[in-house]
Amino acid sequence: MSYEMWTEKYRPVTLDDMVNQKEIVERLKSFVKARNVPHCIFAGPPGTGKTTAALCLAHDLYGEGYREHIMELNASDERGINVVRETVKTFARTRSMGEVSFKILILDEADNMTADAQQALRRTMERYTETARFILIANYSGKIIEPIQSRCAPFRFTFLPEEDIINRIKFICENENVDISEDGIDAILEVGEGDLRRTINILQAAASVGKVITADVVYSVVGRANPADIREMIRLAMNGEFIEARKKLREMILKYGLAGSDILKQVHLEIFRLNIPDRWKIKLADTVGEIDFRLIQGSDEEVQLSALLARLAEAGYEIRGDL
Amino acid sequence: MYVPWTVKYKPKTISEVVGNDDAKRKIIEWIKSWDRGVPSKRAVFIYGPPGVGKTVFIEALARDFGMELVESNASDYRVADAVKRFAGRASEYSTLFGKRRLILFDELDGITGTADKGGVRVITDIVKNTRCPIVLIANNAYDPRFSTLRKHCFLVEFKRLSKSLLIKHLRRICALEGIAAETEALRFIADRANGDVRSAVNDLQALAQGKKTLKYEDVSWLAYRDRKDVIFNVLRRIFYSRDANDAKMAIDMADVDPDMLFEWIYENLPYHIKNPKELASAMDSLSRADVYRSRVRSTQDWSLLRYVIDLMTAGISVSWSRRARGWVPFKFPERIRSLSGSKGERNLLSAIGMKIRRRCHVSANRAVKEIIPYLKVIFENNDEMASGLARWLDLDDEMIKYLRGDL
Repeated sequence: MSYEMWTEKYRPVTLDDMVNQKEIVERLKSFVKARNVPHCIFAGPPGTGKTTAALCLAHDLYGEGYREHIMELNASDERGINVVRETVKTFARTRSMGEVSFKILILDEADNMTADAQQALRRTMERYTETARFILIANYSGKIIEPIQSRCAPFRFTFLPEEDIINRIKFICENENVDISEDGIDAILEVGEGDLRRTINILQAAASVGKVITADVVYSVVGRANPADIREMIRLAMNGEFIEARKKLREMILKYGLAGSDILKQVHLEIFRLNIPDRWKIKLADTVGEIDFRLIQGSDEEVQLSALLARLAEAGYEIRGDL
Repeated sequence: MYVPWTVKYKPKTISEVVGNDDAKRKIIEWIKSWDRGVPSKRAVFIYGPPGVGKTVFIEALARDFGMELVESNASDYRVADAVKRFAGRASEYSTLFGKRRLILFDELDGITGTADKGGVRVITDIVKNTRCPIVLIANNAYDPRFSTLRKHCFLVEFKRLSKSLLIKHLRRICALEGIAAETEALRFIADRANGDVRSAVNDLQALAQGKKTLKYEDVSWLAYRDRKDVIFNVLRRIFYSRDANDAKMAIDMADVDPDMLFEWIYENLPYHIKNPKELASAMDSLSRADVYRSRVRSTQDWSLLRYVIDLMTAGISVSWSRRARGWVPFKFPERIRSLSGSKGERNLLSAIGMKIRRRCHVSANRAVKEIIPYLKVIFENNDEMASGLARWLDLDDEMIKYLRGDL
């Protein structure tokens, strides 16, 4: 076994190494051939190869020493456009040596920037176009302002086919000398949710536990997102035990570090499994959707989910009254 | 009878003095060197912030070494003559009574007023000629007034105590007093003490004396010491007001931080509003207040705050029939408790996040959410992989301990 994060160890280095996102990779290769790269937006779900594609592109463009020609910034760490602007200014001021005359700036989680910051970014992009090209990485391109979108070549990354993920899991297991059972693979697929980074992280954590990776091991590793906890929370709420339900929620968020959106996703699934009248399922789904939207917009996870729990309590009360 | 715990639990021996091990060892070696004759530096000058054990250590030292401590609080001897009278003779006749003397000038900072003209000079002379060891103690040895004196002294710094040492010390006292104390409570006290043992022990006594248990709730009031009643009144007014305007005015009653008040309302709401329909409506209102809060944050337009206020005050009060159901006490927001209780943890988390970010092409934020949970699994289960990763990520001991769950 080797001792680094497997996500890095097994990250493709060149565009040729990239198995997925074929059309995107082909277009990127044509950029390499032309020795020119436009500003780009890489949009798509997490763990589908956006950052990897950007790094591979840089590698193929500049060769082994590519790190000197790129800069990675992260919108969610570098709060404030001023940081970005200053960094870009210093980075872009000098021309790249060699046959490619520009540097590449990779701005991750760009959809976390406020509209104002994006406006400022747009100006910066324009001013330094000659010496720097931007690759903006985002989950939702819709959250990037129009003027930036229109200046960038858009790339839509899609979920990886299940088969490719399975192949990757098997490849890594072989390389690391780890045994994995069939149901272990299925479990990792399920909890990995099509996110290859998440999948590989879970795989490594599961491998650290013991010899053979089984479904049980996988669920224990991510066991924190245990569906049983969610069901219990919903049951408490619908029984009118709001305070207890909130306690459960708090535990999941604070102790186990679950993301509100993950909890919400599971609540959504569970609602349609509940033994309640259909019209209530739709009503509750609508509430879940509203809450989900609020979370995306940056509202407080626990407060919003608590409001949902109170709605569930109300639903339980009314349904009992209906009977 | 009231005995201050700082006195009751004053260390009797050197080994009971917590922290500053390096400094203590240096001083012990220096004292021992007197057995081989008068050393080149005849005085040790201990400096450091208040309450870190400077004086206490010297007292314990004298006891352990069987020396007679001739103690002077320098601010009591404010003029040169008096200093000379006190210490000059003592330093000349060191072995007169068979027992060796240790001369202590404490709180030397106090001797630096204009009225003390010559005081420092006299002490400097005594230090130069003394036949027995002298200890000087001050908060700041680098005060210009001490520049000459300093040259003749062996300088030793006492530093603020680490939080973990403070907690250990507080826990020992609690054990001796028969108090079961929550770590979070002790950590809160230690946090506030900022490395000052004396103030930590004083706080502990004020909060815990006579109790069987010490919980976080018992101590967290320190931070809002005189605001408890204020918040209770505001809450009562919001929950039980007659109408929307009355509830809205509650927030003007006192200078309460809206975010803080939000937490109080959010925590206490379900304990007062029991009817599911009313609770859902109140929670809905509160959640919409939160939506406005996030809009304030993302636009930085604080004029939107007024809608936050509307929804979290009037919005709550109109959601329910406001029937008082006996006495319902207000509870301290548990979320604040877990957040402030784990402030250090959050700092540590983001520090680990930054380490991961350097290696893994993800933001520190995302690393905290998406990678650290799995790192924890690895660190709890597989030492070999963990130590490899620790090196690869360049984690320090505290980070490793945290990931192992040992912190």
